Amino acid sequence: MISRRQGTEAAVELAGRLPIIGSVGNTTFDLFAVAEDRPENFYLWNSMGMASSVGLGLALARPDLRVVILDGDGALLMNLGSLCTAMMAGVRNIVHVVWDNGGWEITGAQPAGTTYGVDLAAIARGAGFRHTATVDDMRAFRSAFADAMGADEPWFIVAHIDNSGAPKTRPTKTLTAIRDRFASAIAS
Amino acid sequence: MLERFRAEDIHNLVYLPDTVMGRLLALAESDPFFRLTGVHREEEAVGIVTGMHLGGQRGAMLVQNTGLGNSLNALGSLALAYRIPFPLVISLRGELGEFNPGQLHMGRAVTGCLDALGIQHFTLRYEHEVEVVLEGALKTCYTAQEPLAILISAQLTGWKDEQ
Repeated sequence: MISRRQGTEAAVELAGRLPIIGSVGNTTFDLFAVAEDRPENFYLWNSMGMASSVGLGLALARPDLRVVILDGDGALLMNLGSLCTAMMAGVRNIVHVVWDNGGWEITGAQPAGTTYGVDLAAIARGAGFRHTATVDDMRAFRSAFADAMGADEPWFIVAHIDNSGAPKTRPTKTLTAIRDRFASAIAS
Repeated sequence: MLERFRAEDIHNLVYLPDTVMGRLLALAESDPFFRLTGVHREEEAVGIVTGMHLGGQRGAMLVQNTGLGNSLNALGSLALAYRIPFPLVISLRGELGEFNPGQLHMGRAVTGCLDALGIQHFTLRYEHEVEVVLEGALKTCYTAQEPLAILISAQLTGWKDEQ
């Protein structure tokens, strides 16, 4: 099992200055805890399921940047169609990581479909992603993520994580500040 | 409509088609200025236009009123909360000349939903007003830095003669 905190640290390190979209809840809280001063982080405070769509829109507007989406299994299950939309749009520059802990950790670790055999990587392959990986330890995650960042096609990585919780620190609640800092940091 | 979008540098049209929007999309498709991005559920369009805005490009969201229902949380929690400006173009079913009872209730709820969210809206009913209303609405949208809805009435587009 991977801890989301450690996985996030590796993703931030390997992403360099490239944009990272953090899905609502613990995914975004860990991203903030690991790299709060990193202006290329976009923190979602709500809009469950929208990280993959925001990442797709950014990737279409900025084909020169490889866009990292840090998602949760519960969030992606709300917007599975976004995987099909990414393929229909012909996007090449997304690296979509799903922290999969089998459910909704932040509300008490209730099980979602992923606890009952839903295989998000198989769904991504079915949508048309040619590059997918499912990883259970940090070494495999680092390796898959590095491959994904070096590629010029879309990648989808399911990382099985434990339910070790998230830090208490939070990004700013001035959402336009999140917007403006991120947009300026990635402006060409 | 496309001319007004072009004048405001709205390069991206993010859509889920219906019959009315299909005609607009067909015109846009043959125009290299526009990039069309289809979605499978309308809420995605809110996220995609937001991502485009963060990346420095303008986009419009084109959906039927049913799609407004599918987009409400993203409009509230993303587009309004982060103040992402874009035109939300909605073709109205369940208004004039409706034949499908399944369209009626969401059709009636459109302006109420928009008002509840505080999204400003204008309705296009007559051909001669399209250009001026759209021009003014787009200017206001980017001044407000928020989504603004443009409703396309069946009075403008006509309706099916199905009973």
